[in-house]
Amino acid sequence: MDFVDIIFVVFALIVVVSAFIVVFSRSIIRSAFSLLFTFFGVAGLYVLLNADFLAVTQVLIYVGGILILILFGVMLTTNVVSVEIKTGTLQTVPAAVIVAVLSGTIAGIFWFTEWHTAPAREGPTTKALGTLFMTDYLLPFEIASILLLVALIGAAMIARHERGTEGGR
Amino acid sequence: MSVTGSDLLGILAVGIVSVTALIAMLAGVFLKNSARLVMWLGLAGMAGAFAAAWGTYPSAGTAFGGMILAGGYASFFGMLILCAGILTFLLASDYLRKEGVEYPEFYVMVLFAVSGMMLMSAAADLIIVFLGLEIMSVSLYVLAGFMRRREKSIEASLKYFLLGAFATGFLLYGIALIYGTMGTTDLAGIALRFASAPPPSLFWVGAGLLLGGFAFKVGAVPFHMWVPDVYEGSPTPVSGIMSTGGKAAAFAAFLLVFVKSLGGGGAKVQTLLAIFAALSMVTGAVIAIAQKNLKRMLAYSSIAHAGYMLTGLAAANQLGESGVLYYLVAYTFMNIGTFGVISLIEQAEEKRLEFSDYAGLGLRQPFLGIVMSIFLFSLAGIPPLAGFFGKYYVFAAAVDAHMTWLAIVGVLASVVSVYYYLRVVVFMYFHEGPEGAEVISVPLLGSVALLLSAAGVVGIGVFPSSILSLTGWFF
Repeated sequence: MDFVDIIFVVFALIVVVSAFIVVFSRSIIRSAFSLLFTFFGVAGLYVLLNADFLAVTQVLIYVGGILILILFGVMLTTNVVSVEIKTGTLQTVPAAVIVAVLSGTIAGIFWFTEWHTAPAREGPTTKALGTLFMTDYLLPFEIASILLLVALIGAAMIARHERGTEGGR
Repeated sequence: MSVTGSDLLGILAVGIVSVTALIAMLAGVFLKNSARLVMWLGLAGMAGAFAAAWGTYPSAGTAFGGMILAGGYASFFGMLILCAGILTFLLASDYLRKEGVEYPEFYVMVLFAVSGMMLMSAAADLIIVFLGLEIMSVSLYVLAGFMRRREKSIEASLKYFLLGAFATGFLLYGIALIYGTMGTTDLAGIALRFASAPPPSLFWVGAGLLLGGFAFKVGAVPFHMWVPDVYEGSPTPVSGIMSTGGKAAAFAAFLLVFVKSLGGGGAKVQTLLAIFAALSMVTGAVIAIAQKNLKRMLAYSSIAHAGYMLTGLAAANQLGESGVLYYLVAYTFMNIGTFGVISLIEQAEEKRLEFSDYAGLGLRQPFLGIVMSIFLFSLAGIPPLAGFFGKYYVFAAAVDAHMTWLAIVGVLASVVSVYYYLRVVVFMYFHEGPEGAEVISVPLLGSVALLLSAAGVVGIGVFPSSILSLTGWFF
């Protein structure tokens, strides 16, 4: 086990343990704060994979944006800090069987698959990604912006104030 | 790579729809009481896109460096989805006014949903499949909950969103695993690799997850749980486009991935699809019998119809593939028509949705009675209407592919289905309506939409070759 492997195991442990806390904790504040470690751990894994742009984006968007929003949402909502969220489990037996079969299959196949790893890329990836977005992946890039717009309008529609009278604006 | 004129021509139809949606959105923001205007704008845009799809139909190829299909298959599905969109617009305006929610956003979201469906059905790359599916789904989540004062509408939206997000997770994980084993998301590239060497088992896990994601979107058993509640709770015209355009787009992508790229996917995938098909046909047909609410009955019937279409996919021969395409056209006209009649008869607050509310309707309102009977006979699969030929092609394909048992299950399920479709007809013509039942005034746009759908059902039923000659060379 060389140095990179040790770092990988450390980050993987951070991700998995904090993800468990997110799911199983009864306090929503604790869940939100463990999510912070999950996101950071994933960003660390991206760095290990030489995906620098992805790692920075992960920190900027998930840690800097989404997580802060969640925390603000929690803190600005009255009484939510002390509320115990329901984390009971239903249908334990069938769920356990399905999860065992699924994870068993996936784990087994991951174990037996011969992985061919791409040669590691040296240097920053941002420029190459930008070039690809403007050439080969131009269409998906543009479509993704429409998708974001649709999500934005949809969220605004669902969250808008109720309009006054029937039929009018 | 630089963008050329032929690239832009290739995505002309979907581009027109997207740009119309953007203009419509701005018009809705800046003009007061613009719902009507936005509707006509959207109709004009979709008519223009239809013309563009028709014009580019002969020049089949790809655009944007093999990212998206142009002409041919893409034009065919583009025209089908645009038909669904236009009929939905015509039916929606009076429905929305009746329910007191006639806002321009409704039309904007339908336009976005249509553009997502068109992208998905033209995808030549798994990334486009995913993006198109998400544009469609996000729009439909919002449309399902458009009537925010109705508890059922909110419930439909939330259920569809939670389960849909879960299904999207499956789909995306599947795409990731396929990319991991094949080294590309390009469907043509995957097809090349698949044909040259047997893929590792990890690929099959990815394909299975992708299959699950698609099966969710077409509403096939065992991924059908969301269908009844969502179709029942959504505004009726939204249920119409969800069950037709959404299904057509999902089947289009399904065909592109599993038939065009993977050549049917081999015996294992075909058996799996056959099992899904049989379960869907039986479950849908049997549970639909017990329904009192017409929208819920149609939801279960749409599960059964997904099963019939999957039969064609499971057969994986040329007859099956063009049979599925024919079936999708037939289903679009007959199902939007049925939901259209329901939306006219429905009253605010979810009244008049039960079988008994249709008592005596056929004699009281001859026009609605006749078109509704045409749609229901076609759904039941009675010749010479379109529904019959759709079923005939997929079942014949199953027999050709040595899956006679599947064809037998399908025929039995459609015999069962005759009961609940004809039950509406029996109520309409052989039951006395209540004394002094009010005569519903049929709005002009709504009757145009119903006439067009009925003409479609009868027309492609009498001349099935008109569709088959369009689709014959796709596979």
